[in-house]
Amino acid sequence: MILSSFSRSGGKPFLSYKTIVITGMCAVLGLGLSGCFSKEKQFKNTLRLATPAKIKGLDPAHSDDMYSGIEVSRAYEGLLQYHYLKRPYELEANLAESMPTISKDGKTYTFKIRKGVLFQDDPCFKTTEGKGRELNASDFVYSWKRLADPKTVSTGWWILDGKLVGLNAWRDEASKSGAADYTQDVEGLRALDAYTLQLKLVSPSAQILYNIAQQFAFAVPHEAVEFYGKELLNHAVGTGPFQLVEFNGASKVIWKKNPTFRQQLYPSEGASGDREAGLLVNAGQPIPFVDGIVTTVFEESQPAWLNFLAQKLDASAIPKDNFNQAISESKGLVEELKAKGIVLHKAPTLDVTHQTFNMADPVVGRNKYLRQALSMSIDRAQIIELFHNGRGISAQTPIPPGVSGYDEAYKNPYVQYDVAKAKELLVKAGFPGGKGLPELEYSTMADTTSRQMSDALAKSFDVLGVKLKVNSYSWPEFQRNIREKKGQIWGMAWGADYPDAENFLQLLYSKNSSPGPNDANYSNAEFDRLYEKSLTLMESPARTILYKKMAQLIVEDCPWIFEMHRLSFGLTQPWLKNYKPHDFDHARAKYYRLSK
Amino acid sequence: MLIYILRRVLATIPTIFGVALLIFVLFNGVGGDPTYQMVGKHATQKQVEEVRHEYGLDQPKVVQFGNYLKQIVTFDYGRSFSTKQEISTMVARGIGPSLTLTVPAFMFTTFLSVALGLLVAYFRGRAVDRIVVFLCVVGMSLPMLGYILFGQYYLAFKAGLFPISGFDYGWPDRFEYILLPMLIMIVVSLGYDVRFYRTAVLEEVSQDYVRTARAKGLSESRIFMKHVLKNSMIPILTNVVIEIPLLILGAFLLESFFGIPGIGGITIDAIHNSDLPVIKAMTTLQALLLILGNLATDILYTLVDPRVSLK
Repeated sequence: MILSSFSRSGGKPFLSYKTIVITGMCAVLGLGLSGCFSKEKQFKNTLRLATPAKIKGLDPAHSDDMYSGIEVSRAYEGLLQYHYLKRPYELEANLAESMPTISKDGKTYTFKIRKGVLFQDDPCFKTTEGKGRELNASDFVYSWKRLADPKTVSTGWWILDGKLVGLNAWRDEASKSGAADYTQDVEGLRALDAYTLQLKLVSPSAQILYNIAQQFAFAVPHEAVEFYGKELLNHAVGTGPFQLVEFNGASKVIWKKNPTFRQQLYPSEGASGDREAGLLVNAGQPIPFVDGIVTTVFEESQPAWLNFLAQKLDASAIPKDNFNQAISESKGLVEELKAKGIVLHKAPTLDVTHQTFNMADPVVGRNKYLRQALSMSIDRAQIIELFHNGRGISAQTPIPPGVSGYDEAYKNPYVQYDVAKAKELLVKAGFPGGKGLPELEYSTMADTTSRQMSDALAKSFDVLGVKLKVNSYSWPEFQRNIREKKGQIWGMAWGADYPDAENFLQLLYSKNSSPGPNDANYSNAEFDRLYEKSLTLMESPARTILYKKMAQLIVEDCPWIFEMHRLSFGLTQPWLKNYKPHDFDHARAKYYRLSK
Repeated sequence: MLIYILRRVLATIPTIFGVALLIFVLFNGVGGDPTYQMVGKHATQKQVEEVRHEYGLDQPKVVQFGNYLKQIVTFDYGRSFSTKQEISTMVARGIGPSLTLTVPAFMFTTFLSVALGLLVAYFRGRAVDRIVVFLCVVGMSLPMLGYILFGQYYLAFKAGLFPISGFDYGWPDRFEYILLPMLIMIVVSLGYDVRFYRTAVLEEVSQDYVRTARAKGLSESRIFMKHVLKNSMIPILTNVVIEIPLLILGAFLLESFFGIPGIGGITIDAIHNSDLPVIKAMTTLQALLLILGNLATDILYTLVDPRVSLK
């Protein structure tokens, strides 16, 4: 730029060297001084949190990734929420006054909406000059129809798909006509009056309450949708405890306490050990305790970790590469961090990781013994240690600890690492020593860790004489490969949407085959029959027995190679109080307290 | 010159068309299907088809390509498939932070590297020359990631000289956050640039007119600053102007590690997500910038070298 200021004649420059030098020095000085004048942002009673991915937006209908869901839950709320402290997880009323009344046939749910709940002040409320109006039952009717509207293209439609009488027909009509008619009555979704919402289910469902507790079903005022249109992604107009100050999904989301938030109290009871852990010190006190939240996006783990160590973040996950720096061999906190008062939180995660066999594949899909043999060739303990720093327990079935149907004592025979037995099974499969078996194909992502894990898997199979070819893809290519039933074997993980084993078992229900969540394309009539039966049953020993029977069928058919249920390790600064890991309560920051 | 510029601008049309065709064929042929990203894990085949219809992905490829060309003309690429954000807003939001980092870094690098290039050429073969060239080679040999990890840990975390990461849209607060990444960018670029400019200057030093100037009794500093520098301008300009369009496209690695919400990551994210509208917008923007950069270089040649004329 500076050098382009010479004249074409080659004579006197447009800018003299003196000018250039002075300009340069000013620039240097300007930058240096700006560094001196810049002040560290003063965070007073503001929670400073990190998120490892960009926040896509704040529209509940599109909040399908966990990190967007967490931000959405700061401003928006639903009828129900999870009790923050109780375990196993339990739902409780939030915008509903109480839990719904359910008809005897289990098909009609009636919710009373809490009175006096206000939407946050926002320019979208034109008739009240920006003052947030009161929430009513119609807001849920509108929000859920919006979820069903094909034009919304919501990834959360599945929570209501096929569940409410008339809603699918309404969606089909909207799809045909090209424009949804929000005034049209839907039998299964009605506001009986301003404070009464009635749902009519197609069939009894034990999961419907879990479904509507998800962020997709949060109340969005129609005024906000009409005012902001698609730009609602960058705004938040809910009833929740925090109000949006600044949204930049690539960098930072800043929230302040919502001044019109109703009185909500910190829980007065919790799980065993919570009182001793100091989690009930603030029982019965109004929440939220903090005045604001700053969520910073850290796409790389090192800066997040260093910011936590520098006390610029109040909580942090432990990056894989820094694990040994934080955790001792006995899986406790290292002395250096203990001395700083940092607290380690360990909790099981409701998830399962597994290798998937494409049951539609003519080689692996038709040979149970082959799948069982491959499953037994894997040393899970080594994999958990090597790739997950020991943060996991070996999975025996798809059902993780913490939900009904999990059996701690049960040992899946095909999850045991036994090469001799695996070789025997391979003989039964018709491929002794791998002879006659074509090279198997493994689909994975193109990142380093995925590649390393694939190599470890290939090494395990190789011991049996089975060759594995690893194909690396970008995420969309990988998705296409498996959703179009082209892959043969691939790795996958599933984190629960809600605390019910059904959420894991539906991954193997034949009607959910690709492009649905059953990407193994597993089909077993007996499993389907039990699954369908279980859907109509509420939590009960009878249902748990069905879950266990289904798990047994999966164990024997082996459409998945079970790997692990992960354990989460999190760290908090000594001044962050009331912190308890939770799989589903995305709004949990409202319970946190800073004690500096 | 105006006619020349007009002709060059018109010549960009087939180039842009070629770029558009290549991008379209590549991402429709071998890229992933964005539909599966958009429908989520719980999708049914019906929903997959609905989404394809909603986004026009079920239209014949010719129609889709026609729509793409229309987008190029109108500069309206719509919204990202992945984030649902308006692409123009994503770009507009990202350009500022990216330029905050890349422009000062580029200016300092250029200024320093030209000065150092002249200096070491002046002391050619002597200790100063050898030391600087050695340092340049060392600097070029280390990957940027190494500088980032070192800088963040030792200079920011341990010594507390800089913020570890972050960005502030306010002025002048934002400069505090870009100092360290800017320093790294300068260090990384300096090695290559100094060596390049040294070579360019040395080439000029061996020319006859330098010998003549010396014979006439001109001082070395006058020879270097007035004659050699000016005549080295063609390679220097080529190197400098071609880098300018890249400044707008940001510095992905630095932005990612230092939490600068720039434009660098937009294309990478889009490729990871098969986010076709963003890929189309960014590649077209990049192509346009490069074409404009080349045009600017040609025009600037005429300003520094009267022997060059535009025809």
